[in-house]
Amino acid sequence: MHEITDLKSGDLQDRLAEMGCVPGTLIKKLYAAPGGDPIAYQVDHYILGLRRLEADYIEVKVAEEISL
Amino acid sequence: MKQILLIGNPNCGKTTLFNRITGLNQKTSNLPGTTVEAYKGKINIQGEDYQIIDLPGIYSLFSNTEYEQVVNTHLLGHSAGKPNLVVFVLDASNLRRNLLLYSQVAELGIPSAGILTMTDTANRRNITTNIPHISKELGIPINGVNPRKDKNITSVLDIIKEAKTPKQISTNPGFKERLELSLSGKKVKGSSEETLRRYADIDSVIKRLNDGNGIRSHFNTAKIDRYVTHPVWGLGIFLLIMLALFQGVFSLADPPMGWIEHGFAFVKDQIPDGGYLGSFIRNGVISGLEGVIVFIPQIFILFFLIGMLEDSGYMVRASFLSDRLMRKLGLNGRSIIPLVGGFACAIPSIMATRSIRNKKERLATMLVVPLMSCSARIPVYVLLISLVIPTGTFWGPLPAQTTLMTAAYFSGIFVAIIFSLIYKFLGRTYEVSEFVLELPTYQAPRFQTVLQSAWLKCRSFIKEAGSIILIISMILWGLSNFGPSEDMNRIEAESIALSTGIDDPREQQEAKERYANALTLEYSYAGQMGKYIEPAIEPLGYDWKTGIALISSFAAREVFVGTMSTLFQTNEENVVGIRAKMQTQINPKTGEPLYGIAYAISLILFYAFALQCVSTMAVLKKETGTWKYSINLFMLYGFIAYVSAYIAYQLLT
Repeated sequence: MHEITDLKSGDLQDRLAEMGCVPGTLIKKLYAAPGGDPIAYQVDHYILGLRRLEADYIEVKVAEEISL
Repeated sequence: MKQILLIGNPNCGKTTLFNRITGLNQKTSNLPGTTVEAYKGKINIQGEDYQIIDLPGIYSLFSNTEYEQVVNTHLLGHSAGKPNLVVFVLDASNLRRNLLLYSQVAELGIPSAGILTMTDTANRRNITTNIPHISKELGIPINGVNPRKDKNITSVLDIIKEAKTPKQISTNPGFKERLELSLSGKKVKGSSEETLRRYADIDSVIKRLNDGNGIRSHFNTAKIDRYVTHPVWGLGIFLLIMLALFQGVFSLADPPMGWIEHGFAFVKDQIPDGGYLGSFIRNGVISGLEGVIVFIPQIFILFFLIGMLEDSGYMVRASFLSDRLMRKLGLNGRSIIPLVGGFACAIPSIMATRSIRNKKERLATMLVVPLMSCSARIPVYVLLISLVIPTGTFWGPLPAQTTLMTAAYFSGIFVAIIFSLIYKFLGRTYEVSEFVLELPTYQAPRFQTVLQSAWLKCRSFIKEAGSIILIISMILWGLSNFGPSEDMNRIEAESIALSTGIDDPREQQEAKERYANALTLEYSYAGQMGKYIEPAIEPLGYDWKTGIALISSFAAREVFVGTMSTLFQTNEENVVGIRAKMQTQINPKTGEPLYGIAYAISLILFYAFALQCVSTMAVLKKETGTWKYSINLFMLYGFIAYVSAYIAYQLLT
């Protein structure tokens, strides 16, 4: 489990931000497609498929798993 | 009549809701300057009529694809006056992300109401959904509904009567100016900063609604996905599904196609013989109609099955699975849906490329879709294969007919791969290629929604291809029934002379007509065209009769079969009759059968590659805004078809 700390500026910043990849959002790697790319992440409460290059825009820090 | 705009994220259940409320009482309309269709329906709420518009599902008003442009145009009242009301469809399991679009639209101050969906999913994931609280936070009346399951759904929009101006949960100076700017297609500065600010405001709303922002580590969808996207299992599942898809189409579409053929044969029999009018109605108009309608079962069933896969959430996984490979080919994971659809019909599939954001990848996908063997090629393949390979023949362990059919499909795919690589290296773009795709929660597909979307795709085939096929069919009738008058007079005299020996007057009349028909075609304008191009197609192994059939195939590829049957004077348009006639033809130069295996394979390759479909060219023009691609593709794929047919014929003889 990670928390997004920063979103790098660039071509995809807008697109990732509108999908909810903004600082403070929890993100977790789930599984990868054959060949390791793209990768599916749990962002908030949904699953988002991102290419490796796209995931590189997102900076994260380790976050505690919150169980409810 | 007041206008209601239905707005929401993709996968929020918006379209399912719309379909269930309006039923089949809906129309599509293209907006000026775009190719995106907005669906309109009429509903009656407590005695008052409303027009309800289902806008494309989007995440934000700011991304510059045609989808967002369409939503903006409607919201800002550029299309049909200011909208009166907005209904937000909000996914309870993804409320935070859904509120981004809400917060943007709320700033426009249009009276609104909300429909909260997916509350069951939200509850499973420990997300509290307290409708009165959400309603209070957003300042609009909200109804909870499950558009997939709830039985009584028609009254859900009664809430519109209490619509209120939504509370601006985030206020951003300069937002409207940026929106107008984005509508003009310009890249808007400061929109990511705005989005970040909006999320900060949304988070304080979410915090008040639900203290724990934790995410549960597992949910069922992710568990299923471990198999569906697994390197081995995932590919196996994909191949199995594709196999089942094609098997299903072939076996399910066969009976209704038979009914349609019999139905048309019956109608043709009702038209009295003799005279140009009867012939025109029978062979020009009705055959043209048949050429359109006979494909509907296959197109409908294939799009229905693909729709089931889409609605369940599987097709997005297929995109996810194939993105790496597709990217290597210069395409996108999203290309997989139009490419699979191309096996049914290129027309709706070219339209389905709209979800690909990168213009170059979208164009490349549109350009290779016609290389997928569509349903119109099947009758041609079937005739040619059964012509040269007896049923039950085996090549080693492989059933020969099926193998050749599969090879025909794969040769199209193979050429598509080569061309997508060519386009990859030729095309230039400054746009970034992106995947960024939501993998929605798996859901049992909704029968009604899928039926409706399959029907809408069929309708686009009928609309785009129908009139073209009909017109070409009528023109071809003219070309094949009229010719230079001295030839026509001579045929008339000859056919009378030839049939005079027969005693029975009915038989005599029939013999005369049969003779006249075949010769009329040979000396008609179409026949003269066939003979005129014969030198060009002779190296491919085709005679002038095949030439006529090739020309007439421009209406729709399967017209080949009908033309051949006319040329060989068979009255029935069934494969057996034409086949028997064709098998007895001898090449005068070689003494070998004229229509042998080399001929069949050469012609199959020609049909697999050539862009012999005026309707596809018309749709390509519509989607790209220029005839350039249609014309270039016609010549390019025609050239490839010619060369490969030539090589195949020369190697096999």
